[in-house]
Amino acid sequence: MPTHIFSVLCENEPGMMMRICRSFMRRQVNIDSITVGIEPSGLARIILMFNSDERTAEFLRQVLLRLTQVIDVEKLEEKTSIVREIALLKTKQLSEEERGRVLEEIEKVGGRVLQVAGKALIAEIYGDHERIEKLIHTLGSGVLKEVARSGQVIISKTME
Amino acid sequence: MPKMSGAKILIETLKSERVKHIFGIPGGATIPIYDVLYDEKEIRHILTRHEQAAAHAADGYARVSGKPGVCMATSGPGATNLVTGILNAYMDSSPVIAITGQVPKPFLGTDAFQEADMMSIMLPITKHNFMIRSVSEIPKKVKLAFKIAMTGRRGPVHIDFPKDMQVAETEVEIPRKVKYQKKVKVRPRAEEVRRAVELLVQANRPLILAGGGVISANAATEVVKLAEILQAPVVTTLLGKGAIPENHPLALGMLGMHGRMAANLAVTECDVLFGVGLRFDDRATGDVRHFAPRAKIIHVDIDPVELGKNVRVDVPIVADAKIALRAVIKGIQSLAKRGKGGQWLERVKKMRKDFAPRMDYDDVPIKPQRVMKELMRTLSEEAIITTEVGQCEMWAAHYYEVKKPRHFIVSGGLGTMGFGFPAAIGAKVARPGCDVVDVAGDGSFLMNSQELATAVDNDIPVVVCILDNRYLGMVKQWQDLFFDKRRSAVDLGETPDFAKLAEAYGAWGETVTRPSEIAPKLEEALRCGKPAVLDIVIDPEEHVLPMVPAGGRIDRMLT
Repeated sequence: MPTHIFSVLCENEPGMMMRICRSFMRRQVNIDSITVGIEPSGLARIILMFNSDERTAEFLRQVLLRLTQVIDVEKLEEKTSIVREIALLKTKQLSEEERGRVLEEIEKVGGRVLQVAGKALIAEIYGDHERIEKLIHTLGSGVLKEVARSGQVIISKTME
Repeated sequence: MPKMSGAKILIETLKSERVKHIFGIPGGATIPIYDVLYDEKEIRHILTRHEQAAAHAADGYARVSGKPGVCMATSGPGATNLVTGILNAYMDSSPVIAITGQVPKPFLGTDAFQEADMMSIMLPITKHNFMIRSVSEIPKKVKLAFKIAMTGRRGPVHIDFPKDMQVAETEVEIPRKVKYQKKVKVRPRAEEVRRAVELLVQANRPLILAGGGVISANAATEVVKLAEILQAPVVTTLLGKGAIPENHPLALGMLGMHGRMAANLAVTECDVLFGVGLRFDDRATGDVRHFAPRAKIIHVDIDPVELGKNVRVDVPIVADAKIALRAVIKGIQSLAKRGKGGQWLERVKKMRKDFAPRMDYDDVPIKPQRVMKELMRTLSEEAIITTEVGQCEMWAAHYYEVKKPRHFIVSGGLGTMGFGFPAAIGAKVARPGCDVVDVAGDGSFLMNSQELATAVDNDIPVVVCILDNRYLGMVKQWQDLFFDKRRSAVDLGETPDFAKLAEAYGAWGETVTRPSEIAPKLEEALRCGKPAVLDIVIDPEEHVLPMVPAGGRIDRMLT
């Protein structure tokens, strides 16, 4: 099933996320990524990624638009958008050899080390979804103790 | 500017929205509001005996009057008792304003006495819900609630009102209007109208399918006009009953699971279906793959979510039913076209005659069909019918011919047993000059029979006509037809004696066992000047037929 991205502009009020998320829950659709930011206008922009067929996606778009506090729902395409994600990685205590390999992998994808404590380290990487997925997969649970991810932040390339 | 308490501001705001009636029950968390109501002259509070009934009464009031109905309950159990009634209003797009008390703000989320998280509970079953977070925002939020309930597709709005906000005072002005930002498309685009008109004037077998949206948009006149210009038959949904006088030669009655055969066949045979103000509910369409299989479908609805949700649509039009109908009528008239009539009209006439429902049974025990005949004979077209849910509702929907919009009030989408009687109370309050009759089943009536106290105490003379078969009849019917007659947990036994139950509340009550007694006793009930219960003992073996089995094709009915 294709991936869909909605950029939802809505009022910034308590319960807004719940109203949106339960619209997906009721239609048995799982949200893969969700991020929220406040626009300079004071409105909230919620970016959602999910998988569903086209018909369900359009139905969900209408359902969201029907919510009283939703102002607009923009459908974004990965091809015509800029997608970014940031991940913070905390490793276990590593052997010298492991540590070298980890640093190399992080460097290869343009990440950087933020903090070192003994033989463990915290690093950040950012970029598109695949890059982060790939690194986390390569390092694996043998190396990583904890991963915190931002979810995907997406903006359309269209400009006025 | 005078200083007012939050409770006073609420009542003044309700008055500015021209609220004349509130259905409700007070409790700990709403006492400050009721303290204001104590001196209030412009608003009549009707004390129900259960909050569910307050919600249904407000719903009935709204559907009959076209104006928002208001119900009120205290926090916790009072508020949760409203839930079924509010969902019922939501499913049938009825504008109800529900106000609930809430524990004081500092106690929110602490499991305080009679605290329920009503914001979460009401969220999925209302069009929108608010909590009052400061006294100064009361006028704006309350007025907005009315605006939201009445804009676009109608629906219930809930306001949760913490007790400390009712007591706190502020200086505030109640604005005449508030701005509602939400954009709602009510006008069809010219291109949409052109395509609809083109299909309709070229059709050989056009058909109009009218739903509850026609009633709420007050567009019944337009439906009849379009039908007459096109010479097209009109079929209605359950909530669309009243969109055309059902004795009109072009009216074929209700479609669907318990619809009329003529209606179901006409839908199956038509080549253009003009659906207006409906959502193509599964009980109406049956198997969607065989629904209107030969037709191009034009679907007009004010809610974009509904277009293409259940059936494929060739011309989707987001618009208000009345505005769209007027535009289409104008389009057809400007082409100086009229419907072709001819063979299709002959076919419609023949179906109407061949499948005319039979009601002239003289049997004892009484057949429910005969009750419908007697009701139609006795009641004027101004009488308002409400129904409970189950067999009684489907008998009324199938046989009772409604002549006017807002005169047939049922629980459609949710199918809420216990709806009819409190809805009748709400209807009578909205239209005291009309006779109001609740066509009830014994099982359904018992779910809110305590409201006899409300009706008697508040002098609201409605008539409950019980089609008494001592069964949960619709479940029994399904068990008989689809579960090998294994009647599990559907026998309601011998109790109560409904006439005596009525008398115990100070209402009029009589039991009828012979067909010839129905009309005179109904007359007596209507003229007795107090709430009345007419217990009509009917044949317990009677099924609602014809019937389309769930998921079946609507042109293949069990008879």
